[in-house]
Amino acid sequence: MPDNCRTVGKNIARIGAVERLQGRPVFSADLSLDDALVLKVLRSGRAHAVVKDIDVGPALAVDGVVRVFTEADIPGENRMGIINRDQPLLADGRVRSSADPVALVAARSEEAAERAVAAIQVTYEDLPAVFTPDEALAPGAPAIHPDGNLLFARRIRRGDVEAAFSRCAVVVERTYRTPFIEHAYLEPDAGAGFVDDDGTLVIYASTQNPHYDLTEVTRLLGVEKWRVRIIQAATGGGFGSKLDLNVQGFIGLALYHLRQPVRMVYSREEAFLATAKRHPLEMHFTTGADEKGRLLATRVLITCNTGAYGSYGIAVTSRSAVHATGPYKIENVEIESRCVYTNHPFCGAMRGFGTPQAAIAHEGQMDLLAQRLGIDPLEIRRINALRTGSVTATGQKLSASVGIGECLQALTPHYDQARRQWRQEPSSPYIRRGVGIGCMWYGIGNTGTKNPATARVAMDREGRVTLFTGCADIGQGSSTVLTQICAEVLGLAPGDIRLVVADTGLTPNAGATSASRQTYISGNAVQTAAAKLAAALLEAAADQLQVPRASLALSNGEVITGAEKTGCVSFARLAQMLHDQGVSLEFEGFFDPPTTALDPATGQGVPYATYAFAGQLALVEVDTLTGEVRVARIVAAHDVGRAIHPENVRGQICGGVAMGLGFALMEQFVPGSTLSLKDYHIPTCADMPEIVPIIVESEEPSGPFGAKGVGEPALIPTAPAILNALADALGKRIDTLPASLESVLETSIATGHFGPREV
Amino acid sequence: MKNHTVTIRFTLNGEPTTVEAAADVSVLHLLREHLGLKGTKEGCGMGECGACTIVVDGRAVNACLMFAPQLDGREVLTVEGLRAEDGLHPLQQAFVDHHGVQCGFCTPGALMSAYALLQENPRAGREEIVTAISGNLCRCTGYRNMVAAIEAARDRRTDK
Repeated sequence: MPDNCRTVGKNIARIGAVERLQGRPVFSADLSLDDALVLKVLRSGRAHAVVKDIDVGPALAVDGVVRVFTEADIPGENRMGIINRDQPLLADGRVRSSADPVALVAARSEEAAERAVAAIQVTYEDLPAVFTPDEALAPGAPAIHPDGNLLFARRIRRGDVEAAFSRCAVVVERTYRTPFIEHAYLEPDAGAGFVDDDGTLVIYASTQNPHYDLTEVTRLLGVEKWRVRIIQAATGGGFGSKLDLNVQGFIGLALYHLRQPVRMVYSREEAFLATAKRHPLEMHFTTGADEKGRLLATRVLITCNTGAYGSYGIAVTSRSAVHATGPYKIENVEIESRCVYTNHPFCGAMRGFGTPQAAIAHEGQMDLLAQRLGIDPLEIRRINALRTGSVTATGQKLSASVGIGECLQALTPHYDQARRQWRQEPSSPYIRRGVGIGCMWYGIGNTGTKNPATARVAMDREGRVTLFTGCADIGQGSSTVLTQICAEVLGLAPGDIRLVVADTGLTPNAGATSASRQTYISGNAVQTAAAKLAAALLEAAADQLQVPRASLALSNGEVITGAEKTGCVSFARLAQMLHDQGVSLEFEGFFDPPTTALDPATGQGVPYATYAFAGQLALVEVDTLTGEVRVARIVAAHDVGRAIHPENVRGQICGGVAMGLGFALMEQFVPGSTLSLKDYHIPTCADMPEIVPIIVESEEPSGPFGAKGVGEPALIPTAPAILNALADALGKRIDTLPASLESVLETSIATGHFGPREV
Repeated sequence: MKNHTVTIRFTLNGEPTTVEAAADVSVLHLLREHLGLKGTKEGCGMGECGACTIVVDGRAVNACLMFAPQLDGREVLTVEGLRAEDGLHPLQQAFVDHHGVQCGFCTPGALMSAYALLQENPRAGREEIVTAISGNLCRCTGYRNMVAAIEAARDRRTDK
């Protein structure tokens, strides 16, 4: 790619890294507010019940307790939810899961708050509860919400599946299952707040979307938006779970009534119990191909268990359907994905929104077809890979930046070497080696719905530039990337840009840090805002220097003429001049990716403006005697459009691989019995394979400097690649996750591998 | 309930320190709430995540699993005390250079584990580095750049 950029594409030091290495950033639990009251929630502990009575009297009698709130204290609308609004902040006469909040205590100390929570007397009348989608959809099942237990269904229809199946040389049918998954970000949810001198309720929180928090908190409190200000504190990871209102609503309610500082910090146990999980999916796939391996048809039925509330369930459901074809061309599809309420604690967004689950299924199908047809697994993917001009299952014609072919190309030498050599040389007779591929595509931004971002760039009288963005950097590095984009447009060094981030009192709305959308969407908004400032400076300089504007360029804080720099004028001089004329040097940029809503009956439409693509290769060793799996190497090729910060992209890929490895092999959240990190294992440094990240840049014309996104794509192909490698090693697939020690050992025994290889 | 407080004298980041604290408070609580050192993080409170790792008498320990009186007479290093005369400690600089930081919540603990390792074994190999930080959970980085940073810091020290 031609590169005349000075900052974009360069590995500048991450903004905030030095502070983090010195332990200086203030995370929500680190906030010290004078005389802050401690907030704690009483949760129901039962799956489904009517709340007959709440007696807060004994709690109020506890020394140090200031107030106990119930739903009667909520001045606004006691309903939350970003897509469908079904979740009360405090129980509204009924509890639908064991995690449901019933009452909120404000006390002078942690101990008093805990004693008060234990002292609240609630009288319940239990209702029948359902825990699986099958139970929830059975006739006569108890309705968890008034409109029944089927929250949503996404259908995609194209071509004639029945006719196409009859033309197939092979048809494979399989059911894949994934468990509840916990985000396990390192920082448990927390927040704190106080009432400002002018009466504004100021809430600091660990969040991925401060502007959504503002909408939700003001609606709960029934106040206008300017009465509340949400500030993102340093945030220790989120991965989707900090898109929901976790502590913000409780803090808002207490501030509204008490007008004194409060703080709320979840223990790890509470974060496990009360925040969203990744949806468990059951995925039934029937896929057919002709004798040459070309995919002709797929029929898919997916069921998502969203637990007691919707949260992002509708988005997960929709995305799992749209992505069910994988990055492949299939002309005949019949896909249905359903989102079902049960009485488990709720599920919500988690890195990939249903796509990581769907990828396990579509990649399993590809390997099964390859095996049945005697075609190499890499080859069958190459044959079917989407390319420029392909039409997707939703009828969208892909016009550019379709890098799946390039990703497969990048994997090829690694794959060939692994198949030819590495796989044949197990280190002991009890070890079997396997090689697997996983591919994915991922639509950047929200599915077929508006999801704009606004950014603001301002130059002060001294010529200094400030970038205002509502985009929450939760560790993924958006502040660095957006600064690079701003600096590039203005010809400045990144260090010259001052940043104001994720504060609803100061920054414009950038939407959520989710859906791998911020580099693409906020990146475009920042680029536009900066370009407007650049244009104003160029115009003023053209006047000043009496030269044509086209001959001018921005460089190092000056406007210069031509390459030989025959004349120049500094930003500071121009800024002063323009400010003195009363000209504002504050500009907004806005970007909303062009999409169309999906047709409810056929799913046809343009759900995303652009897609990221990736392929990963896993090299796996299985101990046939113990079931132990060692992932030796992951080669990860990702088409990101353009890497604004290549090391940041590689960092996302490596983190995604770790999360994908956990998803494949060890992670499983069992509601009711998984209580803390003691019961839920995520990969440690010792579990990690060698990772070879490969950046593929298939430029996206509508992206800032050609960029798309990588946050979620990083994780998606890993688990499918590992599962396919395991199947390659053992000769039998594991389609129910996780492929735990027990499950691998069982497979090893079932396939007769338990014992040494015959030499 | 009676509140037994004890006097604890120890060296904290090079400074002699005396505090009065209840006998049953954890070192993590003592550092964060009594001494205002909030660089040490609480991620689980049960010794599983390593976010609260500090160095006590040269060894990396989980501050959440240690009672405050156990510090008496000992030498403690937290992230706030990690520095070189001319600014960042070589480990910190290596984490910047090798992009070993993402959200930063596990970072102080991981630094402390790495520091204790390199103090004890300046020539620690990759496997020892991996073992040393395998008690520090990180959900962001996949650990690769953290290991690279620690190796670079080691090489810088042994070059000298």
